[in-house]
Amino acid sequence: MIQVRALTKRYGPHTAVDGLTFTAPPGAVTGFLGPNGAGKSTTMRMIVGLERPTSGTATVDGVRYADLGAPLHSVGTMLDARSVHPGRSAFRHLMAMARTHGIPRSRVEEVIGLTGLESVAGRRTGTFSLGMGQRLGIAGALLGDPGTLILDEPVNGLDPDGVLWVRHLVKELAAEGRAVLLSSHLVHELALCADRVVVIGKGRLLADAALGDPALGAGSLEDAYLRLTAGSVEYRAGAAGGGAR
Amino acid sequence: MTSSPVTFPRVLASEAGKMTGVRTLRWTALSCVAVAAGTAFGLSLFARPGGGATGASLAVAGHVLAQLGFLALGVTAGTEEFRTKLAHVTFLAVPRRLPVLAAQAVVTAVLASVTAAVALVASIAVTAARRDALGLPLNLADAETVRMLAGFVLHQTAIALVGLGLGALLRRPAGAFVTAVVGVVVLDQFLAMNPGRFPDTVRAFLPGAGTRLLTGDDRLAALDAASSGPHLEPWAAGLLVAGWATVLLAAAATRLRRGDIASWEK
Repeated sequence: MIQVRALTKRYGPHTAVDGLTFTAPPGAVTGFLGPNGAGKSTTMRMIVGLERPTSGTATVDGVRYADLGAPLHSVGTMLDARSVHPGRSAFRHLMAMARTHGIPRSRVEEVIGLTGLESVAGRRTGTFSLGMGQRLGIAGALLGDPGTLILDEPVNGLDPDGVLWVRHLVKELAAEGRAVLLSSHLVHELALCADRVVVIGKGRLLADAALGDPALGAGSLEDAYLRLTAGSVEYRAGAAGGGAR
Repeated sequence: MTSSPVTFPRVLASEAGKMTGVRTLRWTALSCVAVAAGTAFGLSLFARPGGGATGASLAVAGHVLAQLGFLALGVTAGTEEFRTKLAHVTFLAVPRRLPVLAAQAVVTAVLASVTAAVALVASIAVTAARRDALGLPLNLADAETVRMLAGFVLHQTAIALVGLGLGALLRRPAGAFVTAVVGVVVLDQFLAMNPGRFPDTVRAFLPGAGTRLLTGDDRLAALDAASSGPHLEPWAAGLLVAGWATVLLAAAATRLRRGDIASWEK
C-alpha cells in the first residue's frame, strides 16, 4: 500500500508537487492521471526515494522507501524503459538487479519468461525497441515478487498484444492482493483496468475516487478527466484559437 | 519469495558484475597497459649511458601518459550509471545509495591496481633488452627500486579513484574528464612553466605530486633543488593523492546522500 501525505516538491520558485495526499490501497489498480507536467512522475520518484520531498511524506506499507531493508521485495517500479545500459543484455541487466537482493538466477529466468523476453534475453538492450524495453522494465519490477507496483506509462510503445497483456497483468496483480499504481495518458486504457483513479493537475489533487463514483460525474472517464483538468493544462495545442481538441 | 535484504557484499557483487561487463572500461584498461608499455619502450630508446636513467626509472617511464588512461578509467566508472540513466534502477534497488559508491570504489581500486600491475610487468618486459644494453638491471633487492615499482601501481590506483570521485560528483563524463586532466596534469605543467614560491607550493599539493612515489632519489633531489615550494617525502606525496581521492569521494557521497537522482540526469 502506498500512502502519500501532504507531499510537496519545489525546484527553486517552481512548485512541481503541491501538498498532494492520496492512497493506493492493496488489491486495487489505482490509475494516476494528469496532463503533462502535472507532477505524476515527480510524485512517483519521491515515493521510491529518487527525489527528496521538500515537505510531506510518502510511505510504502507504512515505511519510507529508503528505510526498506529489501526494497525490491516490497515495491516493483518501472519509471523509464530507457533505464538500462545499452551494452548489457537483458539477462545481465536483471541479474545485476537480482544480485543486490540475493534473488536467484531461477527467478530472473522466470520473469524473463513472464514478460515474453526469452528469445531476446541475450541481446544487448541498446538494440531493443521501446516495447521490448517496456517489457524489460516490467520484468525488473516483478523481479522481487513485490506487494506494491509502481508503473509509469507501462503501455507506452507496446503493440496491441502488449497492451492487452499489461491490462490483464495489472488486474491479475491486484486480484492477488497487491497495490498497483499505474500512470498513463491513455484514459480509455485506464478505464478498462483501473479500479480507482487519482487525478492531479499542476501538482495538486483534483480527484481521488473509485471508478463509477458520482464524484467523477456522469459520462466516460475521459469526459471526467477533461472536465477536471480543464484549468490545469499547461500545454494545449491550438489554445490561442479557442482550444480546439 | 522469502525476503532477503540488501547487504554490502551483494551490492559489491552487483557492481562488480556490472563494471566488468562495461566494454568501455575493458578497452580503457587495455589502453592503459598499451600506453604505459609503449611510452616506456619509446623513451628507453632515447636513454643514454650516464644520462641519469636507472632500471626502475625506465620501467615506470610511461606513467605520465598512462595517468590519463587511469583517470578515464575512474571517470567512466563514476559516470557510466548516470550517462545511461541506469542510476534510477540501481538506486531503486539500493535506496541508501552510499553502498553503491563504496562498492564502485572497491571495484575501481581492484581494477586499477590489477591494470597498473599488468602495465608495469609489460613495461618491464618491453624495456628489458634496452636495460641490458645500457647495463641498468632491475634490482628488486634495492629499496628505491621497490618503492618506484610499487609507487607506480599505488599512484595509478589513487589517480583512478580521483577520477571516480570526480565522475560520481559531476555525473557527466566529458566535464569530469576535462576537470580531472586539468587538475592532475595541465595545471601541474602550467605551474611548472612559471616557477616561483606560490606556484611551486600549489604544485606540491596537487594530485600529480603522487608521481614522487615513482621518482628516483637523485631525480627528486634535482627537482627539490629547483623548487622553492615544500618538499614532500615520497610516502607523504602518496598520502596526499590518497587524500585527494578521499575528499572527492566524500564530496560525491554528500551529493549522492542529500541530493536527488533527477529525471533529467543522464
